[in-house]
Amino acid sequence: MKVNPNFLKKVKKYGAFDISKCFNCGNCTAVCPLSAEDASFPRKMIRYAQVGAQKEIESSLDPWLCYYCGECSDTCPRQAYPGEFMMTLRRYLIAKYDITGISGFFYRFPWIQNILVAGIFAFSLGAFAVYKGDFQELAAKIELAFPVYVTLAIAAYVFTFYRKTILDKAKKILISFDFSNIKETLIHGLTQKNFSGCSDTDRTRWIAHLLVMSGYTLTLVISNLHLLEPLKKHYGISDFATFLVFYAAFAILAGGFIMMYRRAKKKAQSSSFSHSTDWLFVVMLFLIGFTTAVVHISNMILGPQDPRVEMLYKINIAVEVAWIIIIVPFTKWIHIFFRPMAVYLRNLKKEEAQGKLFSMPIPGLK
Amino acid sequence: MSENKEFVCDSLIIGSGIAGMQAALDIGDAGYNVIMVEKSPSIGGKMISLSKVFPTLDCASCITTPKMAASSHHPRVKAFTYSEVEKIEKTNEGFEAEIIKKPRFVIESECISCKKCEESCPVHLEDEFEFGLGVKKAISIPFTNAIPQLPVLDESKCIRCAACARVCPKDCIDYLQKPEKIKIKAKTIILATGYEITPMTAKKEYGGGRLINVISSLQAERLLAPHGPYGKVLRPSDGKIPDSIAYVQCAGSRDESIGIPYCSRVCCMYAVKQAMLLSGSLPLSEITIYYMDIRAFGKGYEQFYNQARAMGINFVKAKVAKITEDQEHNVILRIDKQEEGSVPMEVKHDMVVLSQGLLPSNKNFFGLNIEKNEYDFVASSKPDFSPALTSTEGVFTAGTACGPKDIPDTIMEAGSAAMEAVNYLKSVKI
Ligand code: SF4
Ligand code: SF4
Repeated sequence: MKVNPNFLKKVKKYGAFDISKCFNCGNCTAVCPLSAEDASFPRKMIRYAQVGAQKEIESSLDPWLCYYCGECSDTCPRQAYPGEFMMTLRRYLIAKYDITGISGFFYRFPWIQNILVAGIFAFSLGAFAVYKGDFQELAAKIELAFPVYVTLAIAAYVFTFYRKTILDKAKKILISFDFSNIKETLIHGLTQKNFSGCSDTDRTRWIAHLLVMSGYTLTLVISNLHLLEPLKKHYGISDFATFLVFYAAFAILAGGFIMMYRRAKKKAQSSSFSHSTDWLFVVMLFLIGFTTAVVHISNMILGPQDPRVEMLYKINIAVEVAWIIIIVPFTKWIHIFFRPMAVYLRNLKKEEAQGKLFSMPIPGLK
Repeated sequence: MSENKEFVCDSLIIGSGIAGMQAALDIGDAGYNVIMVEKSPSIGGKMISLSKVFPTLDCASCITTPKMAASSHHPRVKAFTYSEVEKIEKTNEGFEAEIIKKPRFVIESECISCKKCEESCPVHLEDEFEFGLGVKKAISIPFTNAIPQLPVLDESKCIRCAACARVCPKDCIDYLQKPEKIKIKAKTIILATGYEITPMTAKKEYGGGRLINVISSLQAERLLAPHGPYGKVLRPSDGKIPDSIAYVQCAGSRDESIGIPYCSRVCCMYAVKQAMLLSGSLPLSEITIYYMDIRAFGKGYEQFYNQARAMGINFVKAKVAKITEDQEHNVILRIDKQEEGSVPMEVKHDMVVLSQGLLPSNKNFFGLNIEKNEYDFVASSKPDFSPALTSTEGVFTAGTACGPKDIPDTIMEAGSAAMEAVNYLKSVKI
């Protein structure tokens, strides 16, 4: 095992607390309702971090199997906040799995991220304002560029994740075609059902999370597939698009409101620490849901020709541009993919141990 | 309340546990008059209820009873038992204390300790001397070797049947007795108020006191004591002899989540001692101690611990995170087994003892202006030179009142407090 004595210092940049207080009693792992024999956390992760076993952490699935119930932090005899440490690890790993290195940069210098978001927003808005052509056409082009960009970003993350956790160790491509594994992965991805594994099930948190996640994904789909043309069509209350927009806006606003409220009140362990990037994420989420809904409603009331609708739509697209470019690929949002993937890869490892797995050696990799 | 009585002494000692008694004997031997005030009906403190002491495995009552006898027969030591200190004021001549002597409902000067009242009483109550494991009568002498050997009537539980009054040969049951107010003038005070163990309810993950086969360490002491409640070790839920017993270390110490971050210093050793005694009385039972680290710091302690290991007691490094029970009231512990890397798992035992920590028993010091440490133990004003000194001149402290400690340290500190008090008495000459 190679150790990196500066590792803990590095990780600490991603969260504000002191895990060196931990005296390794194991209370956290024992109290954790999600920890299991083949996925024992958080103590092991803390120990790895303390001794600087960087590789062990970077190739571990455990950070993604933790759903931050906060029971470990509540009962830790040293009040070392092991739950927050797992959250910090997730931030660290996102930065680590980002091949561009930009995420890590943003985590360390959150104000640069804020400035960039504001700058891109202002720049796009300015450009849109002076644009004389058909804005609906331009918006269509912009929105059609989104999926390419987002897909590339996600694909890069997913590949690095797979490489670090499986490829580097197994030295061959491992794939599970097991039906129950795929089913479980999908269910986890869609419902985040592990939240309910927390014994003091915090229903509000799970519902808030589910709302935000579904609203977020829906917004991403709406914009990436260019489903809305508010300057061309006049939407009515019974249109399917209206339903989608309203659901997304409602889900984001309601879920986001609950999250913000809890963060401000620091109600539960999981909300008692906030990294400033978490705030930016929540604020942008709000703006997206809000502007999309406002454009849609004004279109329904004023009709597509009204100049006020066009103005609002420009703001909406400018927010979207900043969001897609800066937030989507470079924040913890990507854990939407890592969580179910970790479930899948954990089952895959089990199947591998049982020897019933599709594997493909890679020539040249030893 | 009856009229004020006044007493004068050189040294007033609050508490008559092993610290209080030792200080009283030392000061008395030096020629000064001492009054001890004890809130329980007998002197002797917690030590008289213990089974044996570590690391010598001497019988605890064989050490405590002679001290109790000596201090109660000492010509210059007087004890007020079943009495609470209301307040202490600093005056120009020293200190003035007001104490309330609670009524036993027995005329103390007449009683011949025949126990007839106790035998006749039809009311059975939980026995607090056995920490709830045994029963006593509504009128009873607190325990066999209690001093004074006087019965106490529990007024709130008494059904006024007068059975005791009828059988008492000396006619000394007095249902109308009132609390007595007593004034004591003293030149010095020794705070030897001792400790309480962390309550069973302190940690909700440990069942909050609701799990019947999870017992306190003092209950375990009683089960192991030669004159304990059952005469053998049985588990509370069904009276079965437990085949596997576990100790949960640091159950109420070194735990910031319940606000007690300090080490209580004695629980590792008393658990090791109890485990040894258990393996003597239940040679077929498995005994496991779950610990974070064993703190065997005193003279002979490490050898004692090694001896326990050699005897086959299991030591498992793990902080118990959660305690629950199954339908038969077997106790289930959740631990992270570290010896095999890291494996979260559940283990089952017939009975579990919590190695609770030590909390200060008194926190306000009767209105005296005494500095405390951040956990409400008396703070020593010169911890490195004279640990028995407090922030108020003339007030000394000894034993667990000023921090968790074991019996040998307590006795040494009591001697030191006595010496400080005697020197002080010599110097002030008031
Ligand atoms: S984080 Fe806390 S509970 Fe977990 S091992 Fe460290 S000290 Fe124990
Ligand atoms: S003496 Fe042992 S059991 Fe007690 S608090 Fe200290 S380490 Fe924990």
